[in-house]
Amino acid sequence: MMDALKIGILYSTTGPYGSMGRDARDGAEFALAEFAADGVTAVEPVFFDPHADLAAYLEGARQLLRAGCRHIIGTITSAARKEVIPLVEKHDALLWYMCPYEGFEANENVVYVGGCPNQHLIPLFEHLIPRLGARPYLVGANYVWGWEMNRLARELVNNAGGEVLGERYLPLEETAVDRIVADIEQRRPSFILNNLIGPSSYAFLAAIRQLADRDPAFLPENCPVVSCDLMECELADIVPDAAVGQLCAASYFDTLSTPENLGFKRRVASRFGPERRVSSVFASAYTAARLCAEAITAAGSDDPVAVRGELYQTVRPSLLGPIAIDRDTNHAALPFHLGQINGNNSFDVIASRPPLAADPYLTGRARQAKLLAKPRLRVVS
Amino acid sequence: MRETPNFNGWRATVLHREDGNTDRLMRQLRLLGLDPRLQWAPLPASDVPDLVIVDADQGWDDLLPWQTEQAACPVVAMLGSEAPGRIAWAIQQGAGAIIAKPVAASAVYPALVMAASIHQERKTNAERLRHLEERVRLRPLVHAAVEKLMRAHRVDEERAYAILRDHAMRRRLPMEQIAAFIVGGAEPLPEAG
Repeated sequence: MMDALKIGILYSTTGPYGSMGRDARDGAEFALAEFAADGVTAVEPVFFDPHADLAAYLEGARQLLRAGCRHIIGTITSAARKEVIPLVEKHDALLWYMCPYEGFEANENVVYVGGCPNQHLIPLFEHLIPRLGARPYLVGANYVWGWEMNRLARELVNNAGGEVLGERYLPLEETAVDRIVADIEQRRPSFILNNLIGPSSYAFLAAIRQLADRDPAFLPENCPVVSCDLMECELADIVPDAAVGQLCAASYFDTLSTPENLGFKRRVASRFGPERRVSSVFASAYTAARLCAEAITAAGSDDPVAVRGELYQTVRPSLLGPIAIDRDTNHAALPFHLGQINGNNSFDVIASRPPLAADPYLTGRARQAKLLAKPRLRVVS
Repeated sequence: MRETPNFNGWRATVLHREDGNTDRLMRQLRLLGLDPRLQWAPLPASDVPDLVIVDADQGWDDLLPWQTEQAACPVVAMLGSEAPGRIAWAIQQGAGAIIAKPVAASAVYPALVMAASIHQERKTNAERLRHLEERVRLRPLVHAAVEKLMRAHRVDEERAYAILRDHAMRRRLPMEQIAAFIVGGAEPLPEAG
């Protein structure tokens, strides 16, 4: 009898990303519990909570590796991911990362189940610019995610012959948004790209709602606020109804009506209660953990080389649809969904695209992924 | 930086013995869209690629077909040693960035962006310098033309220079060329008005 397979789970359940961390941890744990219940492989999740302390991520990864985990599912921010990668590389382990991020990374010791910009920002702009125009206003958190997403947004807008009407940043957790909102009121953009995070983002959405109450030009149907990182588990933290009608891009929404999702939601309800909403981090962490356990079992070993080989050659059904990991980039091909916030703290899916192969460095080269659409750098308006 | 740096389709030559470092490097170059070739033999001057990545630990002087800092394309040095002589060798080959050994995948793209940017900057500066050197070389000619105008129009040096400059601007020619015409008598003297 093989020893239980140890898989590390490294999420912070407190701090500015606490709600995402808790959902991610629950999703990964749920996947491993379901997998263990199938009885094929004994699985033992090993948890570490860095409590939002960046330096503690490295210590956490070290403890998980020492405990015998060769696979770690974890980290929300790029800073935390970059913190643990050198250690994961040194021990030839695999980090399973599942958040949307700003791209420009492809590490052999990381499996990327979160999307990079050609899977979220570019299709989002391809949807928005022809409908609303190419004169957006960009806001973001003072952090690599905000900077890089807005840099790319500016490039896309320039390529489409448009104009960025403003670009402003707020420190993490800053909620004083009045000056930015006043500037937006004056400049009257065609839409607003929101790369703020957590409480800043919630305060901004509430302030835009107040602006729209004074001036209907800023109602969501005229000038939507669009995000690539807002999710179900955060909507309850926003002033009630303030964000209704605003848009978000993701590879999963709770309201998707696929048979996989309907079955998944029944299982989530029986474990967590009928009120539990599934966020995209919950779904992505679940998908990453499930993929990890399945690939290890199929490979017959938790050796990262064998597991990667298994991932590259098999397209697996998943909660996010058939999922393939690209051999060059280690990134998953992911579907694109555009969600509109509804009155039930959830999203209505208003547009979707089939899985897009990741192009983390935006080389635009055509990949030979048979089932997958080719990435495009330019927004065609 | 406005445009996302893109190396898609670039031909790269990696001058290094094949080992674990080059395996990781070649993989990363391919996923960045480059077409890399690995060789441990001198690069012929007739076949300069778009980018050279060279082993500065083992490299010798005739490995690259150019002399000190006259690189014909962007150069990245791979370096494990910290010996000043090896760093100096990398600088002499025109390296604009270093990839430390052992190679981390995350070191490759930043090094390419930096080496390409520095190569472009050096090229621009070299062209500007050539242009300025040419102008300095032709200064005596301009001076001779100014003197000729001073005598012909009985004006001071400042006025004569202004006449020459205005004439060059109207003809859309470099001052040095106009000066050569004037000194050689190839065209009538410009009017003082």
